[in-house]
Amino acid sequence: MHFKRFTTFAAVVAAICATSMQSSRADDYPSRTVTVVVPFAAGGNTDTFGRLVAEQLDKRLGQRFIVENKPGAGGNVGLGDLARSKPDGYTIGMGTVSSNAINQTLYKTLPYDKEKGFAPISLIATLPNVLVVNPDKIKATSVEELIELLKKEPGKHTYASSGVGTSIHLAGELLATKAGIKMTHIPYKGSSQAILDVVAGHVDMMFDNIPTAAQQVKAGKVRALAVTSLDKAALLPEVPTMASIIPGFEATSWHGIFAPPGTPPEIVEKLSKEVQAILAEPAMKAKLEGMGATPVGNTSTEFKAFIATETAKWAEVIKAANVPPQ
Amino acid sequence: MDIFSNLWLGASTAFLPMNLLYGFVGCLLGTAIGVLPGLGPTATIAMLLPITFGLPPESALIMLAGIFYGAQYGGSTTAILINLPGESSSVVTAIDGYQMARNGRAGAALATAALGSFFAGTVATILLAMAAPPLAAVALNFGPAEYFSLMVLGLVASVALASGSLLKAMAMIVFGLMLGTVGTDVESGTPRYVFDIPELYDGLNFVAVSMGIFGICEILRNLESEQERSVGVKRVTGLMLTMSDFKRIIAPVLRGTALGSFLGVLPGGGAMLASFASYAMEKRISPNRAEFGKGAIEGVAAPESANNAGAQTSFIPMLTLGIPGNPVMALMVGAMILQGITPGPNVISDEPALFWGMIVSMWSGNLMLVILNLPLIGLWVRMLTVPYHLLFPAIIGFCCIGAYSINNSVFDVFVMAGFSVIGFALSKMRFEPAPLLLGFILGPMLEENLRRAMLISQGDPSIFLRSPLSLSLLIFAVVVLALVLSPSISRKREEAFTE
Repeated sequence: MHFKRFTTFAAVVAAICATSMQSSRADDYPSRTVTVVVPFAAGGNTDTFGRLVAEQLDKRLGQRFIVENKPGAGGNVGLGDLARSKPDGYTIGMGTVSSNAINQTLYKTLPYDKEKGFAPISLIATLPNVLVVNPDKIKATSVEELIELLKKEPGKHTYASSGVGTSIHLAGELLATKAGIKMTHIPYKGSSQAILDVVAGHVDMMFDNIPTAAQQVKAGKVRALAVTSLDKAALLPEVPTMASIIPGFEATSWHGIFAPPGTPPEIVEKLSKEVQAILAEPAMKAKLEGMGATPVGNTSTEFKAFIATETAKWAEVIKAANVPPQ
Repeated sequence: MDIFSNLWLGASTAFLPMNLLYGFVGCLLGTAIGVLPGLGPTATIAMLLPITFGLPPESALIMLAGIFYGAQYGGSTTAILINLPGESSSVVTAIDGYQMARNGRAGAALATAALGSFFAGTVATILLAMAAPPLAAVALNFGPAEYFSLMVLGLVASVALASGSLLKAMAMIVFGLMLGTVGTDVESGTPRYVFDIPELYDGLNFVAVSMGIFGICEILRNLESEQERSVGVKRVTGLMLTMSDFKRIIAPVLRGTALGSFLGVLPGGGAMLASFASYAMEKRISPNRAEFGKGAIEGVAAPESANNAGAQTSFIPMLTLGIPGNPVMALMVGAMILQGITPGPNVISDEPALFWGMIVSMWSGNLMLVILNLPLIGLWVRMLTVPYHLLFPAIIGFCCIGAYSINNSVFDVFVMAGFSVIGFALSKMRFEPAPLLLGFILGPMLEENLRRAMLISQGDPSIFLRSPLSLSLLIFAVVVLALVLSPSISRKREEAFTE
């Protein structure tokens, strides 16, 4: 009786395995619904990019691409789930500079194998940060003047961030190390509360993601001193780049799409080509640029090399700034 | 005159048949999903966000706003009927609302919630239309020091939530504060009490804790005692409010609306305090204060109006500054960005039709909810007559779905299950859960703002006294503390005499 039940069970398991093995072949991929894990809350930048790309993948590949938000621990919860899911191309996920390049150094333990990492599909977009100051609190109108002020009054001025170890915080630390200045870091839970306190003048300055910050700049609530991308930002064309003042300064937030480690390279390549094509479409480009983002789209190899450079860069900043590991 | 032309512009957007329809669909979906335990406005909007992608911006936002009010409404319904607050704002509604349901007055409690919310929503919408920018300026005056003092006041007032022993209430608040320390410390980034579980890095989830400690725990208690299995609903008397009910709720509704409208403007968690604060206030000043905790209609009217007024005015920071004050608003901002509108301080002048359309739709949405919900009361109340052995598995099932949907994670279901056991143990020892939950909400905000203020002042504690706003809040807290302590001392004396 028990044995009979076991054999039935084994047969069912075998049948399921067989069908799923069959379906993970690259030429007929995708043959069923694909889950896109977003390791951050709905409504944020990563979620928005993920949804925009999923919608287009849906149209081009003829299968549903469903976004599933699994927020927690700076993206680690969702990425842990992604790493554990079957590497057959039917679960893919979003990742960012924080979750895939900073957390590697910031967290003592990660819920997945750091060495194995993920199979990068493509970089989707980069989003510059912009250094904004409260005009009543900081009289400086350029980065040079700001550095001069901070050298004169070390530790007297405050900068807000969306949390310890976020790209917004580390941009501030990067400035402090590169310019040899001291500022007091005031972390918040998320960037909205932080920019609100800069607008109100409770905190002096902040590096903020460009779409929301640009609106505050345009309304004259804060003054923009520099953007952190190597090129000027389309949303704030009159603002100089940080790199033009401090050579090599780059601290953009980026968002990409990944597959679990061990996903067949043919499937990764197929998805990568589709994502690159989607990001080259004029309508998509316009939409992303309207949000202040720069659409990218690259191959798995290029993306992998990019992540390695970024991970090394942020590891250095974290060490220089003495951010304690979590 | 300006205001009339603006409202006219808004009305011409909001009353377009298509927008009315989307508003109605939003309210309906919101109510339907909000009634399911655990599915609060955030989860509901996140789930339904994709539906709005194909809509024009005005319709999309009107629909999302409708979902927001609808889900909030639905949350109070479960709080009253089955002691299951789906979100922080309905925790206090559950205290007296559920007692009213047990006394056979579920219909009256639901009607009070609906009418109180509608009145508060109307007043708050008018306030929003007339004074959004100056109110936003008030919100900007609240920095870390002011928030800290406000939270101190909230904490002091929370002692009043307890109907039994003062000492036990304080013990529960402290327990709540301790639970609030779980997760990554905002200031240093150090994880606390996480035991290497990634799901704990962001702290315990409020909805999971509150569903366990209220809803599931209530089921355990009902199953334990044989005679209470029929949810203890005695006899359903009158679905509607009587004349004397009306008289009793007018003043609490007015006070709740005023308090909620003000606290809702504060983006740093003010709206969360609204329902707690108004309940605590009523319990102090109501002529029927002896009934509180046993099914006082004021205990439903005040927090429900405060909650809804706060929900409306919580749009102010987003609409006037472009900065979302809570997760629901963050979702709305996300939806606006997807629609190609980046909200900012100029949204009123750049997109007047959108801004005023939304304001008018808030009022029409509230009206729709009343029209939708008053007839439904009969249906909800009849749900209580379903045999308990059929009802409770369904409630548990929905609770699990609700807990899972918070972060799409099984972990929160376990948290809920764990806290139902803790809640059961606490109820055996006659500890009340409401002060615990308030401590749990206030704790992290209290600590964050205290340490943030101290960082900004470079370690100088006089920052709390230098700001006039912070100073007056602290003085007020001392006065409330004195008021809270004095009657309990005299009560203890009375008890000593009777013994």
